[in-house]
Amino acid sequence: MRSSIAILSLILGASGIGQAQESPYIVTYDHHLEEPGNLEIETFVTLGVPRSAQSFYAAPWMEIEYGVTGRWTSEIYIEGQGTAGDSAVFTGWRWENRFRPLKREHVINPVLYLEYESPNEASRIQKEIVGGAPDVESPNSDLQGTKNHEIEGKLILSGTAHDWNIAGNFITEKNLSRSEGFEFGYAFGFSRPLAKLASGASCRFCRENFLAGVEFYGGLGSTEDGFGVRNSAHYVAPVVSWQVSENASIHFSPGIALNGLGSPILIRFGYSYEIRGFGSRLTQWFGGR
Amino acid sequence: MRTIYAALLGFALTTSAFCQNPEYQQDAKWQAPAEAASRANPLAGRPDTAAGGQKLFRRNCVECHGADGSGLAKKHAADLKLSSVQQQSDGVLFWKITNGNPDRGMPSFSKLPELQRWQLVLFLRTLKPTDSAPAKP
Repeated sequence: MRSSIAILSLILGASGIGQAQESPYIVTYDHHLEEPGNLEIETFVTLGVPRSAQSFYAAPWMEIEYGVTGRWTSEIYIEGQGTAGDSAVFTGWRWENRFRPLKREHVINPVLYLEYESPNEASRIQKEIVGGAPDVESPNSDLQGTKNHEIEGKLILSGTAHDWNIAGNFITEKNLSRSEGFEFGYAFGFSRPLAKLASGASCRFCRENFLAGVEFYGGLGSTEDGFGVRNSAHYVAPVVSWQVSENASIHFSPGIALNGLGSPILIRFGYSYEIRGFGSRLTQWFGGR
Repeated sequence: MRTIYAALLGFALTTSAFCQNPEYQQDAKWQAPAEAASRANPLAGRPDTAAGGQKLFRRNCVECHGADGSGLAKKHAADLKLSSVQQQSDGVLFWKITNGNPDRGMPSFSKLPELQRWQLVLFLRTLKPTDSAPAKP
């Protein structure tokens, strides 16, 4: 209990005014990294609407994202899953890092993404889809015992044209626990703010506080089963984010399957809260400058 | 549960060690290309939009540059009221807001729509110039 209070006071005490003009994408990454020293806490859930012989499931995850430098963002995930008529289980954790090699803005801005994942087979957050389609039919008792150690890499290419962001991610993943070969996937999207000018008034429902777009994501097969789109799940998903306050935003995205694999509909929503200057305040508290 | 809290705290402490700014020094390499420097502010004839720029400044800039734009020493941030900053063209300020200088702690604000970045430039022009400190663009 004491440690809970300590952590809570640490977070609240560090809270400063921050801007949360966050990307509306939930699966696709663009080239914007977390600002150095800022900490962002995000909670999301993926709701899987079932086909026949499937069950409804909810897969929540929490992300803690930190801007280590202006060109390096690091993030930790913890995730779980609950399936109707089955059980609720912890499904693993991930540690991702994004590096921006180029200093200035360009038409296309590359970002390198490297992630270590330790999920079990019951993971259903589907933060990315690689290889074929995730197993959403087997019971949790069969899946949670199979733990994986995976390395995932992404090449993120993103740019802005006339206030539209256009981003594409090329994904490859290797399961280190088993000899599965490499699996591949993709995500791409485009989005823009609903207003180009900021109003002078302080307002919650102004158009400038909303971003909207569309993202597409799915698998591209594997080196074992063959490269291609036929045996993989694919989704199209409108995305919208709403900056509800100076440092918080809400995200929503209903994903619709483009083929008969995986869940037919993935509804995703989440809340993110940014703590500006977290790193420097923490350093001060522990005796730094 | 304690293990998770300890892991989170350890992560925060480890990463915070990397975010400390070095002592601020003017970056001579942070120069806008001539083409960018010559761009005119499309909102120059609309001073009413500066109020929106002030709101954007409060959201995005005060953390380092302070509420009055004079720059926070602990962040090694520029005093935006200095004449050496104010003498820079609108195009240069727009370019610096857009690109940032990530190695010196200034983030890129290209995620803001272009007109909002021009609103920020418009607001910067409302800051009263001072000449009390050396130039820190």
